Amino acid sequence: MKKLMLLLLLVPLAFATWQTVAAMAIITSAALLAGVYILGFGLGINELQILAKEELFQLIALMVMMVALWGGDGILNGISVSPEFAGESATMQDASLEILDAWTADVEATLNEMKSMDKAISVEASRGGQCSLFGMGYSVTACGGYSMLAAPLSMAGSISGFAMAEVAAMRRLVEITIDYGLSFILPLGIILRTFKMTRGAGGFLIALAVSMHIMLPAGIIFNSMLAETFLADSVASADYPSSPQGVTIMECEPLNTRGSIGDSIVTAFASLGTNIDTDSNEGKAAQAYKDMRGSIRSYLYVLLIEATIGPIIALLLMIGSLRALSVAAGTDVDVSAISRFV
Amino acid sequence: MADMICGAGFDSFLTGTIVPLVAYATIITATLIAISFMLGRFLSNPKLTLWSKTEIVQLLVSVATVIFIPVVVNTFCTLDMGEVGDIFGISGTSGSVYASAKEFLLGAAVYAHNAATVARYQLEGYTVVSYFNAMICEIQVGGGVGLGCLFGQGSDTIQPLGGYGAVMGALNVAFNSSLMSYFTAMNFLMILLFVYRGFVFLFLPLGVFLRSMPYMRPFGSLMFAVAMSFLIVYPLMLGIFGLMSGVILDPPLDVGDYDESVFPESEQGAEILGSSFGGEDYVFDLYLGGKDDVPGAMAFAATAFIAGIFFPTLALLATIASVTYVARLYGDEIDLSRLTQLV
Repeated sequence: MKKLMLLLLLVPLAFATWQTVAAMAIITSAALLAGVYILGFGLGINELQILAKEELFQLIALMVMMVALWGGDGILNGISVSPEFAGESATMQDASLEILDAWTADVEATLNEMKSMDKAISVEASRGGQCSLFGMGYSVTACGGYSMLAAPLSMAGSISGFAMAEVAAMRRLVEITIDYGLSFILPLGIILRTFKMTRGAGGFLIALAVSMHIMLPAGIIFNSMLAETFLADSVASADYPSSPQGVTIMECEPLNTRGSIGDSIVTAFASLGTNIDTDSNEGKAAQAYKDMRGSIRSYLYVLLIEATIGPIIALLLMIGSLRALSVAAGTDVDVSAISRFV
Repeated sequence: MADMICGAGFDSFLTGTIVPLVAYATIITATLIAISFMLGRFLSNPKLTLWSKTEIVQLLVSVATVIFIPVVVNTFCTLDMGEVGDIFGISGTSGSVYASAKEFLLGAAVYAHNAATVARYQLEGYTVVSYFNAMICEIQVGGGVGLGCLFGQGSDTIQPLGGYGAVMGALNVAFNSSLMSYFTAMNFLMILLFVYRGFVFLFLPLGVFLRSMPYMRPFGSLMFAVAMSFLIVYPLMLGIFGLMSGVILDPPLDVGDYDESVFPESEQGAEILGSSFGGEDYVFDLYLGGKDDVPGAMAFAATAFIAGIFFPTLALLATIASVTYVARLYGDEIDLSRLTQLV
């Protein structure tokens, strides 16, 4: 019976907008405060009266916040659709999604380039030759020198994986804020902030909504602007092209043992950077290593500036904003746990 | 498990265990306060009488808290998150706050597990194909047939699909990250079940008693604050995130395409011959055909991180913030921020 009555009380909520619900929450809270004050007054308990007064201030602050939200909703949307941030997109959130899609495509291209290099290297490294007749013969594997190139590529693949995951995570957060930021998380935060018990959670949700909706896309757009500025400077970006450069891997001759034994090993590595004897397998592997070393910079732009620093800047902006706005909303949340995600 | 806190079992647990314990704690505390008051009067010690008067008010506050919590719990059991979603134009699944919270974490755990499945499948596929060896006979006359093997063996061997170290490095990141997300989601689920099992209710009688004991008020307040925050704020936050499941738990790949085994269900002569003479493309398609989607696996792992770690952590942060807030309500300053280091 008790639950049925409660359910009947909650039925109107199903037909209300969030503003109505927030107003009802404020009225309920005010009624509770009046009760607390009356109780304090009647029993002569000063603590209760002080508590009621303090909460009344919080209620007034909340009403100010609601008014600010009604006005601020337009301001936030105004920032979102501002051409400075949104560019040719409808909103800054859409613009950030487009940037993230472009970054994803770049990282994928980078990984594909590594993949093809890795494949070429591994095929050469696995080569072996054999010759036998009537059970007698020999087997030579003279391409082991190429194996040294697999480890850095594996590490590069891991870095690409992290980069790809970071961009995908950012994309998901922006998708969430587009669908729920201002329409759900923010008003719900205001409603929850009405009650003492859920004030911490409410203030946190308000801060989260604004931070995710504005600061996260802003961070992505800022980083994109920085990256474009860097690329526009032809002198600074000359050594850091925006697209990865592949490396030609010379074919290994599995039966060619020249350069794999004797003094020529020393010769091959000592001359790294000058003249390499590419007639030997060792020299070919060393040449591939030299070329790969030279092409590292062409991967840095995509992997570091776009896909690593970009998300870090965006997350830091969001977390910094979350902390500041939480305090402004009356909740001191220790967001250091989220900072560790960066 | 949500039934535990919302069903008949909870009522009997509350009335059969918690209420008697709270009653005992209240009576013992009231008795101690009364003795202290009488002693204060008898000894004409105003400190004791003042302490007694203060503590009787605090005892009333404690009892009011104990009455308040089951009321809120019952409200949360009745509140339908689907209807809450309707207010904001979000189509969410029906269920109480507690059921929605549990569903969200279960969904996040399953989501992270699916992400791990996708990464594992591809890791296995790439590992299998990378170990294939090809023997290329010398003196090729076309069609892959070499005369070098006719009377003896004159050939080169290679691993035509051996070079997936970079891809496997990336997939290992996805796999490890997905497993971490899975374990974290399960960890948060365990905390929730710990709450649903009603253990935090045992904090209430302890809180009633300890709050009125000298020097123990902050500890008693902490008991109340933890009980209230983890019974109210933690499930509520998770239930709210559950309403956003449509986006949070939207998979970038169809996990149905990735079964547990990369090997063909039955290997007949055709597969063996094909693997031997069909070339590297045939072998690659046999084990990974159409399912090699490294960017998809990475995206899945990343979104699993958001679902399994990021949002549940936000719920825990809000809960810890609430503990601080509620403790302040009782006049104590408690800093539980170090708890977040558990995350």
